[in-house]
Parts: sequence; C-alpha cells; structure tokens
Amino acid sequence: MANWVFIGLRTGIRTSPYPRRADLAPGVSPGRPAPAVAYDEAMAAAAEHCPVDAINRRGSELAIDENRCVHCSRCRSGADRSGIPWESGYEWGAYTQPAAAREALDRRFGRSLHIRFIDAGACGACMSEARQLNNPYYNITRLGFFITPTPRNADVLLVAGPISDAMRTPLLKAYAALPAPKRVMAIGACAICGGVFGPSFVCAGGLRELLPVDVVVPGCPPPPLAILHGLLVLVDRKPPREPPKEGSATPSSQAPQESFP
Amino acid sequence: MASSPLEVKSGPVDVLEIAPARWSGRAAVTFDSSARVCRMETRVEELHALCEWLTAEAGYVFATLVVEESPAESWSLRYLFYAPSGLRAEVLVRTEGPHPSVPSLSDLPEGPSYDWHEREAEDLFGVNFPGHPRLGDFVLHEDWPEGVNPMRASFDAARRLETRESNPRWRAPLILSSPGSFAMPIGPIFSDFAESSHFLLETVGEDVVRTVPRFFYKYRGLEKLAEGRPLDRVLLLAERFSGNAAFAHALALCEAAEEICGVEVPQRARVLRTVLAELERLRHHAATITGICHSTALGVAASQAALIEEDLLRLTCQVAGHRYLFGALAPGGLCFDPGEAQCERLKASSGEAAQRLAQLHSQLRYSSSFLDRLEEVGIVSREAALSYGLVGPIARASGVSRDLRKLCPYLAYETCDFPVAIQHEGDGYARLRVFFQEAQTSVAIIRELLNELPSGPVLAGAALTPRSGSAWRAVETPSGAAFHYLRLHRDGTVARYRVTPAAFVNWHGFHLAAENFAFQDFPIILASFGLSNAECDR
Amino acid sequence: MSLGAGLLVSFFALCALGGLGAFGVPRGLLPRWIAGVGSVCALTALTLAAIVLVGGETFHITLWPVLSLGRPSLSADRLSGLFLFVTGLVYLPVSLFSSHYLLKHAEHRNLRYFSLLYHSLFAAIALVLVADDAISFLVGWEAMSIISYLLVTFEDREESAQAGYVMLAMSEAGSVAVIIAFVLAAGSQETLDFAALRTGAAMLGPSLKWAIFLLSFFGFAVKAGLVPRNSWLPLAHPAAPTNVSALLSAVIVNLGIYGIARFALDLAPVRSPNAGLIVLLVGSVSALVGILYATIQSELKRLLAHSTIENMGIVAAGLGACLVFVSTGHEVAASIALVAALYHLTNHSIYKALLFVGTGLIEERTGTRDLDRLGGLIRHLPWTSGLFLIGVLSIAALPPLNGFVSEWLTLQTILRSEELASTPDRVLFAVSGALLALTAGLAVTCFAKVFSMGFLGIARSNGAARATEAPRSTRWPLGILAAACIALGVLPTYVIPVIDGASSPFVHASATIALVPPFFDRESQQREHVPETFLAEFHGLGSEVGHDIVPGRGLVVLHRGEERNPVVFAMSTSYTAIVLGLIVGASFVLFRALTWRRRLTRSAAWDGGIRRLWPGITYTATGFSNPVRVVFRALLRPTTVEDSTEAVATHFRTAIRREDADVPITDRLILGPPVRALQQAAALVRRMHVGHVNAYAGYVLFALLFALIVGVVALFH
Repeated sequence: MANWVFIGLRTGIRTSPYPRRADLAPGVSPGRPAPAVAYDEAMAAAAEHCPVDAINRRGSELAIDENRCVHCSRCRSGADRSGIPWESGYEWGAYTQPAAAREALDRRFGRSLHIRFIDAGACGACMSEARQLNNPYYNITRLGFFITPTPRNADVLLVAGPISDAMRTPLLKAYAALPAPKRVMAIGACAICGGVFGPSFVCAGGLRELLPVDVVVPGCPPPPLAILHGLLVLVDRKPPREPPKEGSATPSSQAPQESFP
Repeated sequence: MASSPLEVKSGPVDVLEIAPARWSGRAAVTFDSSARVCRMETRVEELHALCEWLTAEAGYVFATLVVEESPAESWSLRYLFYAPSGLRAEVLVRTEGPHPSVPSLSDLPEGPSYDWHEREAEDLFGVNFPGHPRLGDFVLHEDWPEGVNPMRASFDAARRLETRESNPRWRAPLILSSPGSFAMPIGPIFSDFAESSHFLLETVGEDVVRTVPRFFYKYRGLEKLAEGRPLDRVLLLAERFSGNAAFAHALALCEAAEEICGVEVPQRARVLRTVLAELERLRHHAATITGICHSTALGVAASQAALIEEDLLRLTCQVAGHRYLFGALAPGGLCFDPGEAQCERLKASSGEAAQRLAQLHSQLRYSSSFLDRLEEVGIVSREAALSYGLVGPIARASGVSRDLRKLCPYLAYETCDFPVAIQHEGDGYARLRVFFQEAQTSVAIIRELLNELPSGPVLAGAALTPRSGSAWRAVETPSGAAFHYLRLHRDGTVARYRVTPAAFVNWHGFHLAAENFAFQDFPIILASFGLSNAECDR
Repeated sequence: MSLGAGLLVSFFALCALGGLGAFGVPRGLLPRWIAGVGSVCALTALTLAAIVLVGGETFHITLWPVLSLGRPSLSADRLSGLFLFVTGLVYLPVSLFSSHYLLKHAEHRNLRYFSLLYHSLFAAIALVLVADDAISFLVGWEAMSIISYLLVTFEDREESAQAGYVMLAMSEAGSVAVIIAFVLAAGSQETLDFAALRTGAAMLGPSLKWAIFLLSFFGFAVKAGLVPRNSWLPLAHPAAPTNVSALLSAVIVNLGIYGIARFALDLAPVRSPNAGLIVLLVGSVSALVGILYATIQSELKRLLAHSTIENMGIVAAGLGACLVFVSTGHEVAASIALVAALYHLTNHSIYKALLFVGTGLIEERTGTRDLDRLGGLIRHLPWTSGLFLIGVLSIAALPPLNGFVSEWLTLQTILRSEELASTPDRVLFAVSGALLALTAGLAVTCFAKVFSMGFLGIARSNGAARATEAPRSTRWPLGILAAACIALGVLPTYVIPVIDGASSPFVHASATIALVPPFFDRESQQREHVPETFLAEFHGLGSEVGHDIVPGRGLVVLHRGEERNPVVFAMSTSYTAIVLGLIVGASFVLFRALTWRRRLTRSAAWDGGIRRLWPGITYTATGFSNPVRVVFRALLRPTTVEDSTEAVATHFRTAIRREDADVPITDRLILGPPVRALQQAAALVRRMHVGHVNAYAGYVLFALLFALIVGVVALFH
C-alpha cells in the first residue's frame, strides 16, 4: 500500500511564484514575436514567411497582430533561428474593448471566480494547457479560480477552438445557462479569429461571431500562465495588455515586460 | 473472427508472387518497388472478393480508405493495406457518375475496420455503400442539409451554410428494449476538461448495457481545407488539428511530401525527428497516465503524473522552442538544430522522467483501491481488437502486437532495438501498464539515439521542388498507427490529403469496452483509452 | 331500540336499497346512484361508529335462531367502532369518486350488478365488524370474500380472472383455518356467541390455545396479506376497478387485522410472549418484503398493493409487540403498541385510499398507470398532483403527516424492548426494529420514486404529455382524504385518546395518560396522574409559556417517572407543522425580499448542451429503483433474459431485449418447494407413460402382485 500522503508531502511545494513574482522557470512559455523592433530588409524577408499575415509594418517599426499569430516559428527563419526576435513572457491577456466601454466585474469576483471550460473544436494543445492550470505548478484554486462541470455555477466561459458548427448550439446553450453577470474569454488563436482553420464551411472562425468576448488570450496555444493572466485581468488583479491603438506602432502598455530580462 | 491477420498466419504470403496468377483477368496487379507498394486495380464487382482474400489469406491489415473525385464525378476509391513484412497494398476501384455506389465490406470478419470509413465517405462524398446497415448521421450531424456532400469537388470550402434547421423529431437510434430502459446522455459539454463528444448510455439504471458514442462535434474539415493550399500551409493544419500528436502527424505529412518530391532527409534530421517523436509519445503517455489517475480520484498520484507531464512540456519547449512541437518540422528536415547542450539536457531530463514514472508505477501497483477500479474494467478482447483493426496502445493492451515502428520501420527505428509493450488482459490496468512500458521504451530510444547523434545539417540543402504525384505514409503516433495519404499538384499545392488518425480507429472500438459496466466506471474507461476527439474528428 | 341499533338497521336497509334499488334506476343515473346511496350509507356508518367510538354507545341485537347453532347476535364495542369508522371514512370519498369513475363503465358494463356487489360488500364488512357470534361473523366473512372475488373479476379480463381465482383459493384456505379455530374455541359450549367463546376458550389447555392462535393468525393473515400468504394480494388488488382496489387495499385488509386482534386479544388469548413474537416477526418480514417489491415496481397500482403488504406488516408488528407486552405484564407498553398499530391501520386506510383514488384519476387522464410512461404531471394536473403529494408524503412517513406519527410510535414501541426480561425476546425485538427501520428507509425511496418519476420531469408518453386537470367534482374525494391525512398527522394528541378508548379494554391500561399527559391543562382532573418529575421537566422546557401561546395539547411524550433522564421520547407534529409553516413562509418572504426589483430569468435545465431533451434520455422509474434491485439481488433473484439481434454481421446489433422477471420471494422459498415436489412427483408418474402396451401390461401385473401380497399379509395377521 503506497502512502500517498507521505509521497505528496515529500514532493514539497512546486507552485509557481506567479502572480506575486514573475515565473522565470525555463519552458513555461514559448514566447512570441517581439513587436517593438525596427523594420528593415531582414525583417521584411522574415515577414514574408508569416502564413497568417500577422506581421505588418507600421511606420518604421514592426507591428505584430498577436491575435493572429499561430507560433509557427517561421519568422525566425532558418536553422539558426535568426529573423524576427521573439520575446519571452506570458502576460498576454487583453481586453477586447477599451476601458471606457467595459463594465467592471464586481470586486467580489476577484476572490472567487468559477470557470466553465468549453471545447469548441480545440486541437488538444489549448485543452492541455488549460488542463495544466490544475496541476501543482499552476494550481489556480489557490487564487480562487475554480473549474466547474456545469455552466449553471460558472461566471466565465473559457472557450477554445475555432467554434465548429456542431458546437455552436451547445456553446450558446451554455452561455444562456450562465447566470449574470457573465463573462466570456477566448483562448488561443482559433477561438479569437479562427486560427489556421479560419471561417470555413464548418467553423464560425472565432468566438466574436457568436458571443460578446471580454478577454482574449492569444497564443497557439497560450501557455498556462497566459491563461492565468487572462483570468487575473478579468477580475482586475493584473493590468491587461491593451490592444495597440490605431496609428501607433508601440503597444501602450509594456509594464509587465520589465520583469523578463 | 478466427482470421487474425497478423498472428494466425505462419507467415504472410508475398502478394506479388501469387496475386497476378490468382487474380488474372480480375485485377491488374503492379508493383512499385521503390515505395514497396503492390497496386491492384479491379472492378467494383470484384472488390469484395479481393479485399476478403487480401485480409483473410494474404495476411494484410486494412489501413484506410481514400476517396478521390478527379475530375468531377469521376471517382477512385483506394483501399490501403499494410502487412507485417513492411509491404503495403493498394486496391483501387473506379466508378463514374453523380451517385457512386460501391459494395460495402462491413460484412467481412474485419468488417468493423471498414465500417466507419464507409460511413465517413458516405457522409462527406455521398458515395453509397449498399449492404452497410448504418449509413448517415456520422460526421455531419442532423442539422446538415441532406444531399450536400462537402468533400465533393463542387463544394466550396469557404461557403458558410447560414441557416440550419434540424428535424425536431430526430432521435439517436437506441436498441435496448427492456421495461423502463432509457439512455443517459453525457455531453457534449461535460466534466471539467472533457473534449466535446456525446455518449448515450443505454441502461435500465445503474448497469449500462450499451454505449452509443456520437463524435465529430469538432469536425473542422481538415481534409477539405487542405485541398488547393500550398504544402507549407497544409503543414500548419497537420500540426494543429491534433495538438497532442502534432509532431507525429506533421511528420507523416512531411515524409509523404518528401517521398513525392524525392527529397533525401539528412541523417541527423532523421535521428532528431525520431527523438522528438519519442519525446512527444513520452509526454502524451504521461498525460494519459495523469488522466487515468485523475479519473479514479487518486489525487496525489494525479498530481505526481501532472508534474512529470508539465516538466516534459517545459523540456520540449526548451529543446524545440514550443511546448507542443509546433513549427519544428519542415519538408526536408527540421527547422532547427537543438545543439549539443539541449541534447544533453534532453538525455538527462528524459532519464529523470523515466525514473519518476517508474517510481509512480511501482507506487500505483500497490494501491489496491486504485487497481480495483481499473482491473477487469472496460475489457476489449483480442478477437474484437483484431476485428475492429484497433491500433496502438489499446490494441497492444489486448494482445495485438501491432507497432508500425516495428512492422514497417521508418526514420531511425530501423537501427534501434526496442521491445514492443504488450499485455493480454485488455482491461484498464493492461492499458495503463502499456502506457507505462511505452514511456520507458521512448526514453530508452531517446537516450540511445542521442548517444550516437550523427552530425551534419538538419535540413535538406536543396529546396523542395514541387512534383505531382501521390504517396502514403504510416506513422506510429502516440495513440497508434496513423495513415496519411497525400496527392500533390504540379505546382506544389495539395490535391488530396487524407488523414486516418489512430483515434478514429480506436474510438470505434470504445463501445466494446463501454458495455455491461456500472455507470460510475464510465470516466475511468474513458480515461484508460486516452483518446483525443480532436484527432478523431479532424 | 337504542340509537345505535337504529342506525345499524337503517345502515343495512340503505345497503339493501342501494343494491336492489339499482335495478330500478335508469342506466345513465347509475353512477350517481351508487355515489349517492354509497355516501349516505358511509355517513350512516360513520355516525354509528362515531357514537360507539366516542360516545361509548353500545347496543345488542339478537337475531333469529339458525338451526341448532344458537341465535346470531350483533353488537359493537369500541374496537368494532374504530374499524367501522375507518371503513366509513374510506367508503365516503370512494363512493363520491365512483360517480365520476364509473362513467367510463356506464356504456359497456352492467353497473346494476356492480351496485349490488358494491353495497353488499359494505354490508358484509359491517356485518363482520359488528358480529357478536361465530355464525354471523363467518357469514359476513364469506360474503365479503366472495363479493371481493366477484368485484376483482368484474372487469372480465384474463388477468383479473386469474388473479381473482388465486385470491379466492387463498382466501378460502384462510377461511377454513378460521372455521377450525372457531370450532376448537367453541369446544363444548352450546352456543357460538362470542361471550360463550370467551369463557370456553379460557378453560382450554395451552396446546389447544396455541392451535387456535396459529389457525386464526395464519387464517386471517391471508386477508391482511402477511407473509407467507401475500403473493395473491399484488395480483388481485390492481386487477379490480380502481375504486374497488381502493376498498380492497384500504378496508378489506383491515379485517384481517381485526380478526387477528379479536382472537388474540379478546376471544382466545394465548398469554405467551412467543405468540406475540411470531406476529411481530411475521409483521416485520412482511413489511420489508412488501416495500422491497413495491420499490422495484413501476406499475402504480401494483406498487400500491405491495405497499399495502408493507403497511399491514407494520400494523402486525405493532400488534405483535402489544401481545408480547401484554403477556409479560407491561400493560402501558402494550397499550402504546396497540394504539400505534391501530393508529397506523387508520392512517394506512386513509392515505392508501387517497393514493388509489389519485391513481384512478391519473389513469383516466393519461391512459396509463405505468410510472415509466408518466412524468411531468405536476404541470398538467396541479391540483391532483398536490393532493397526491400529500398522500405520498404521508405514506413515506414524513413529518408532520399521519404516516410519520404512527410509524414513529411503532418504532418507539419496539425500542421499548429494554423493559423485557428475556434476552432472546430483546434480540428478536432488535431484529424486527432493524427490519422496520430498513422498511421506513425504502418506503421513502419508493415514494420519492413515485412522485419524482410520475409527476416531475418531462412526460414520457403522449398520454402524459396531453393530460388535462381532472374536473373539480373529482378532486373532492381526494381533498377529504388529504385533509384527513393532515388532521391525523398534526393532531395526534386528539386522536390517541380516541383510539386508546378502543384499545384499552384489551390491555387494561391507558395509553392516553402515558403518551399525551394533560400537563398543559391545569384544570384537568387527570393532572394528578402526572408525576411531578414529568411536570418539572416540561416546566424547564417552557411549557408554562407554551400554555399561553399554544392552545391545547401538542406533544406526544413518554415519561419514565424517574429523576434521571425522565423523558423516554417526545415528539410533536403539531409544533413541527407550525415551525415548518413558519420556515416555508419566512423563506418565501425572504426570497421575495432578496429578489425584490431584480430581474428573474427562467431558463431550461442544463442538459450538457445537447440539442434537445427527449423523454427517452430521462430517468425512468425502473432506472430510479434499479440500484435497490441490484443491492437486493440476492433476495429478489430476478431471472434475466437477454438476447440481441444483428443485421449483416454480428458486430451490427440492431436490438437488445432484456427482461427481468421477479419471482416473489415467498413463492420461491415457502410455497415453491411443495409445488416443485408435486411437479416432480407428477413428472415421475409421467415417466411411466412410455406408450408401450407391454409396459402397461407390466404395471397391471405389478399392481396385481402388490395387491395379492398385501392381501395375503393381511390375511395372516
């Protein structure tokens, strides 16, 4: 008979320091193309490789549409991974609407938020990353986040996948079953804009088409800490990564980046 | 059921030797020596007899059915088979017209292997299979308009079908008639992180008599989307339709493309590809073990396994730049070279993971409450596994030692020696043991190959020159054998891409295990299969 | 002629009018005729019973002599009065219900004949209850048995014919035992009136007394449906028209208990605790067997019939406990036990009648009484469902309704076994207590199933989906019975003295003083019977305050009269009802206050996101109770038949048929072996029928030889 209590205690605490401090463990996030780089010939060549047209030029600088990026690594072309530099980090959660248009969630939700995860055609990577939220490293229950099996008890729908048509009815029913105030979070490029599956004959290509999305967590897949950041953003416990304003090349908020050398 | 293709035969018959004489005048037999494929073209009327002969007497195993419409309303159906000798066979029939009709093979002893392929082809192409008792309502659910077949050439993949009405009187067919019998619906949204799929458990309460699974809630039309796209873009699809086995599927696509275009992959890339495929298998099995521990509510064990899984994800990210190996492959090799330091890290960390898994296994072996819930639960018999053509760890847990890494070795598997994990009970615990053993095997392969890693480039020097042609590859993905069929146009765009993942085959066998069990065992049976719906649904 | 005798004569006259007068009534008016005359009969019986039971009125009518067997006579004591009162209380609403229910029979059934049977049955029941000698008792008893048989087979279907036949055979076997018991008791007495039997039986030896007890107990147990003679009841009761089923299950079964009680307490008491223990154990086992089969039933009437066995078992257990306490000299405990048994009998009659009448209505509105095909009725039949719910809560013994009071008293009585001296007796009491506790638990499961599967959820058949509320006139009978359930539940302190009046003459002690002491009532004459410690205890509890707030009595309590832990048990459904009412009211107010000015949205139940729920994927009654079936598989031993059909090949199954057949446990264990032995003997005999002439010639030869040998042996002796 294995003594599971002892085994558990012997393992010790493995919990990530995030969100108190930045989690600098290697491999927690694959990172993504860094937007704030000067645009030059090499960059233009690298941008050619982008299969989802996420790399554009804005003035003299590179502009990257994070929501479209599918982490294909092609912009860091070649075996030596030259090309567009990638930044580390994972604080990717962002509101879809400017602060003025948002209706803040009651502060009480900051302490306990119940989440219903919905797989609307996700490939398994997003699902796996969301599942990791419950592993001892990330352990979201310590932060008051709970995954519930029924939307009746949930405050947030966490949706992944390009919204396949067969999941449209279940998704809408789950949204209807959610008690107000309800919030919707789209995780992964597929749920945000359809990703590589795009709008097609069987996919709506993005959650926006069906439901009002509050927070998006880009990535393909977004690592667990990015999803966690999205949840913290939703309850105002972390500042969001604001969407870039029209005409400006640099994203307005770079604050979270400072902790990652 | 007696004709178990791989084991009962003393040795598979060389089709090439006897087929021309046996089928003279009935089938045209040719042999492609470079691809080691025996091609047999026959008439629709002869198809049933030929396929029966091929499986029952020649010892071949059905792999997949590839339907192609080219040009419009001119149909070719390719039945692909493989044999333990490493030889492969292709049976081709052609037919014309807007309503093609090919006899169903589902009444053969191996009928269940053909069953779902025929249903899929009927749904997506509108090919009729007279003699099949259960056509319709498979990939496309009841709200899809009758008579619209999305895989036909005339169907536009970008076209959205806006309003869809479903018949309110539609009911899933239930077959249990017992006083007070009913069906317990599960899903499509259920449990905490379950993938979207729907099960109807036919029961009279407490004991479930039969499980009716309903899949393709996640059908994203992978094969249709691939058509007409450049290979480069299709690679993205192949990686992203099933994140759990992204590398294995991308590998199958790349290998098929390399075969068509005649690209020689550098030796270092071949070995590294093998290493990464095994790393993916290791992580997949760790995730499955986590799921099994979780389903039995053994919290500490689930946490231990989850720690190993997350450590492997981080390791993968360090080695390959992505936690799920997206973007690692390119036709002709690999996109990156991990370098000496990362290879050393990989060797050390995978060894450590193996040790931790072994420890977990020995701890689980002495947890009787855990074993009670797995032993003799969800049994798949060897006969059923053979008849359904099950693959991968599920088949190996039922005593069917089918492993494509051994049967038709590819990459560096030819050179390394490893045991095929095999168990005979066919229950949940047998599957768990197979997952544990294969994880150990994967680590052994990784360490063996990294010890003698050849030097050189990881990407073929010359760029891929597009050629028209077709090829098909069989790859042992973490969940079992997957078959990718690829046909390229002259300009390098994809004409037809057919994926038959292991989950598609093994989900078909799921109902065998989910029969006559107590309701509370359902999540455990589900977890012990460790199958992905994303992979099955495509 | 006294008032009582006058009422009795007019009652019989009314029954005769109802039965015979029907032949002069136009066909269309017959349902109303039956309802009208039946209710008047019932009211007369109720008045008669009330003046006997409460007023203590007695009468004695001597009839004409019959042959040499003496002069039959009729009289009534309070026990008869109680049973007659219960009969009247059931007959009244059932008659009212009949006026509507029989309309569907008006076209193609001979309702005149039905009216004759219906009123004769009432008269026969009354005759059994007021009989004061063996002859009139047996005449009434046989008349009742035969009329019940005719009513069971009234609908003229094959299964009713068979059920009626089994019922008649069983019942006649019981009658034979009862007749022998009477003959033994009469002994050398010249007349067969009960007074003579009492004196005669008192002089008999113990073995004869035992024989009388066993014959009478097992003879009457047939009617009460106690094991091992229970298997006819679930067949016969549902086979009858529903109004008759209600009478069979709510009234006729009581007569079995009446017979047992009359013999064991009054005519020929055995005075041995073992007799009581037999009754106790038979009762407890009946209760468990009854509820077990009820739980796995999904046909509503059959379920109710099984539950009748359960309830009669509980009554018998109380009666058995009473017999044990009487013979061991614990009069107070005996009086409580008898009150509990009679209280439960009364309650059972009322809620069982309510449930049967409700079932009749539901069957009429939906066309089915199979719980697997009902569902969602609360939306279509709110009134019927609400009244049915009161019956369900009562029979499931939930406070503050009447079933709770009597079951709780019965269980408490059985826990009084600590007063017994003998250890084996205590063990048997503990066993029967455990059986009854299990029964109570299963009863909740069973009736939770009835209500949740029949009335909640979604309809599982077209009939249930399209049902409409029953007309107002048919809800009255349900309302009367439901009101009685509530009254008997929340006012036990007023009911117990009345029942005690009927039971105390037999146990020579009063349960009223023990259970409902008048300590609230400072002016009461009886207050001096209440010990000081008792009063002190309740002064501590604030009874003085209660006196000002709560009018009258409201507490059922047993006191030991000792300093330490003086209160044995205490319970008040009256206060429970008040508190429950307050909680429900307060919750409603609170809910309203909290949701004041908030937007409330109603949405469908969460179904996992499937496109739509349909009846085939919701729980059925069989599914609900299947865990019980699985847990008790060893007892129930269902024989399962499973087969499947395939299309094309074995892996395409197109149908699985599975059926569980339950053989009643008593048939299997007790009646089965002799039947099997008989069949085996028959098979042996049949084996001799080989069909060869030579063989038959051989048999003849052997028979001759045997006869010769016997003859020769006899000759030489």
